Amino acid sequence: MGQTFRTSMTWLHTWAGVVLGALLFAIFWMGTLSVFDREIDRWMIPETRLGAAGMVSLDGLATTARKIAPDASSWSFTLPSERVPMARFYFQDAAGDYTFRDIDPKNGTVLPDAGTMAGTGFIFPFHFSLHLVWMDLGYWSVGLAGMTMLVLLVSGVVIHRKIFDDFFTFRWDRKLPRSSLDLHNLAGVLGLPFHFVITLSGLIIFFAFYFPTVVGAIYGEDVAGFNHDVYGSFQREAAGESGTLASLDQMAAEATRIWGGEPPYFVRVWHPGDANATVEMRRTLARSVDMNVDTVHFDATTGEVLQTHTATPVVHVSNFIAGLHFIQFEHWPLRWIYFVLGLSGCVMIATGYVYWLETRRKRHAAQGLAGVRIVEGLTIGAVSGIVIATLAFFVANRILPLGASFAGQDRAALEVWAFYLVWLASFAHAWARPGNAWREQCWAIAALAVLAVVLNAATTGDHLVRALAHRHLWAVAGMDLLLLAGAAIALLTALRLARRGIAAGPAQDTLKAAE
Amino acid sequence: MAGWLLLVGIMTAAYLGFALLALTQARPWQRLGQAEPPTGIRRLTLRTLGSLALLLSLVLCLVRDGPSFGALLWATAISLAAATVVFTLAWRPALLRPLAAMATVGIKLRCERMETDGQGTAKVPPSNPTRL
Repeated sequence: MGQTFRTSMTWLHTWAGVVLGALLFAIFWMGTLSVFDREIDRWMIPETRLGAAGMVSLDGLATTARKIAPDASSWSFTLPSERVPMARFYFQDAAGDYTFRDIDPKNGTVLPDAGTMAGTGFIFPFHFSLHLVWMDLGYWSVGLAGMTMLVLLVSGVVIHRKIFDDFFTFRWDRKLPRSSLDLHNLAGVLGLPFHFVITLSGLIIFFAFYFPTVVGAIYGEDVAGFNHDVYGSFQREAAGESGTLASLDQMAAEATRIWGGEPPYFVRVWHPGDANATVEMRRTLARSVDMNVDTVHFDATTGEVLQTHTATPVVHVSNFIAGLHFIQFEHWPLRWIYFVLGLSGCVMIATGYVYWLETRRKRHAAQGLAGVRIVEGLTIGAVSGIVIATLAFFVANRILPLGASFAGQDRAALEVWAFYLVWLASFAHAWARPGNAWREQCWAIAALAVLAVVLNAATTGDHLVRALAHRHLWAVAGMDLLLLAGAAIALLTALRLARRGIAAGPAQDTLKAAE
Repeated sequence: MAGWLLLVGIMTAAYLGFALLALTQARPWQRLGQAEPPTGIRRLTLRTLGSLALLLSLVLCLVRDGPSFGALLWATAISLAAATVVFTLAWRPALLRPLAAMATVGIKLRCERMETDGQGTAKVPPSNPTRL
C-alpha cells in the first residue's frame, strides 16, 4: 500500500512538474522580482529618482489636482513613502478613462510620462495575470499553477525518501542527477514553509475571483454591501451645489491621531468642488504585516469625521494572509529574505527539470524518444530564457529614448515587445542548439546584465559609485549590484559549462542573473 | 543599530542551532571526516542545545519586531540559516570543526563529572568516543 501510494505520488510529482514547471518558473521569477518592483521602477524611470521629499502638503497637492483635473468626479493620491519618492495622482480624464500622473511632492510639478510599465506595471502584474487578458486566461492559469504547486509540494514531501537524513545534504561534487536532486530537495525542504505559505496565500488573495459565488451567496447582487462591510466604503450623492474643500492636511492629522500615529498613504476626494464632497483616507500599510483596510471618511467642506472603519476579526486574518504575500510593509531584512527564498523557488523548479532530464537522457537517446529534447528546450527557454527576456526589457528601457515609437507602438509597448520577442527567440535557440543552449544563454545573461548597468550609467549618470553615495539612489545601486552579481554567476556558469563541454549544466546558477 | 545587531544575533543563533542539529546526523560527520555521529546523551545534548539556539533566535526575533513581524522573520530566516549550514558542510566543512570539537569536549567533561558525582541516569558515552 505504502509502496503503491509513493509510486503514484512519484508519478504525479514528475508529470505535474514537467507539464506546469515552466509556467510555475515564470510566476516565481516574476514574483521574486516583484519583491523589488518599486526599486525596478526607480531604475527604469530615472525621472522619479527624487531626493528626500520632506513634508508633503496635501493642500498643495489638492491645488495641483484641481489644475490637472478640474472636472473629475473623483481624484486621489497615493502619498510618497520610503520606497516611492513621488506622489501619484489618479483621476478620470476628459475621455472618461482612469489615468494617473506622477507628481514631485516638493513643488507639485507634474513629472513627464514614464513611457514604461516598469516593475509595478509589467513585472508585478505578470506575476499574477501573465498579461493574458483574453477570457481571464492569465488569472486562471496562475490559479491552476498555484494549486499544482501545492500538490507538488505535498507529493514532493511524500516521495522524499530520507527527508531527515538528507536534511543537511548537498553533494555538489557528484554527478548531475545526484547533485541536482540534492539541490532540488534542499530548496524544496528548507524552503517548504515559505513556498507553501506563499503559494497558499497567493491563491487566497484571489478567492473572490476564483469563487465569485462565495460573495454572491451572502450578499447576492449587493456588491456595495460587501464593499461596505469589508472595506468600509462610503458613498454620498453629490448635491449639485458648489462647496469648498477644507484643509486636507488637518484631516490627515486627525486620521493620524485616530490611527495612533500612523499616517494615511492614500487620500481620495469624492465629488470635488461639490457641497456634498467627501474625503477618504486610508491608513498606511508600512507598519504591520496585516494589510489593514482602515479608512476614515470626512465631510470635505467641514472636515468633520463621517465614518471610521476597521477590519472585523475574520477580515483581519485574511488581511494578514494577504499582507505576508504582498509585503507592502517597510522591513528591509524581510524583503531581502523574501527575494532569496523566491529565488530558492526558482532553483527548486529548475533543478527539478534538470533531474528529470539527466535521469532520462541516455534512455531516450537509446530508444530514439524525443522527450528529453523537447523538455530540455522547454526548460532552457523557461529558465534562462525568461531571465534573458527580463534583461532585454531592462536594456530596451535604457536604449529607447522617451517618446520613441515604432510601427504605431509607443515606448512602453516596445519594451514589452522586446521582452516577448527575446523570450520567444530563447525557446527557438534552445530547441535549435540543444547541446550549446545552456552555455550560450548564460553568456547572453552575463552580457545583457553588464550592458544594462553600463547603459544606466551612460544614460542617467547615476553610476554605481554615485548611486551608492546617495541614499535616494540606493534602489538604483541595489539593482546595479544584483545585475552585476547575476552577470558574475552567469559568467562562471558559462565558463564551467564550456570546460566540462557537457550539454546540460547547473541551471540554477543562471537564475540569479537579474533583479 | 540595535536592530542590525539583533539581526546578526538572530542569524547566528539560528545558524548555530542548525549546525548543532546537523552534528547529530551521520552525513555531516562524514563531511567532517568522522565516520560515526555521536549517540546517546551526546546526541541528546546536541539536539537540546540546537533546539535552544533556534528558540533563542525566535525570542530575539520577537524582541526585535514584535509578534507578527517577529514570527514572520523567524519563519523565513531559519530557512536561510539552515541553507547556510548546508553550504558550509558542502564547501567549507572545516569551518564547523571547532564547533564539533567544542560540543564533544563539553559533553565529555559533563559526562565525566556526572559519573564522579555518581548521580543521574545519564550513561557514559559508548565506546568509540568522537575525536577530531
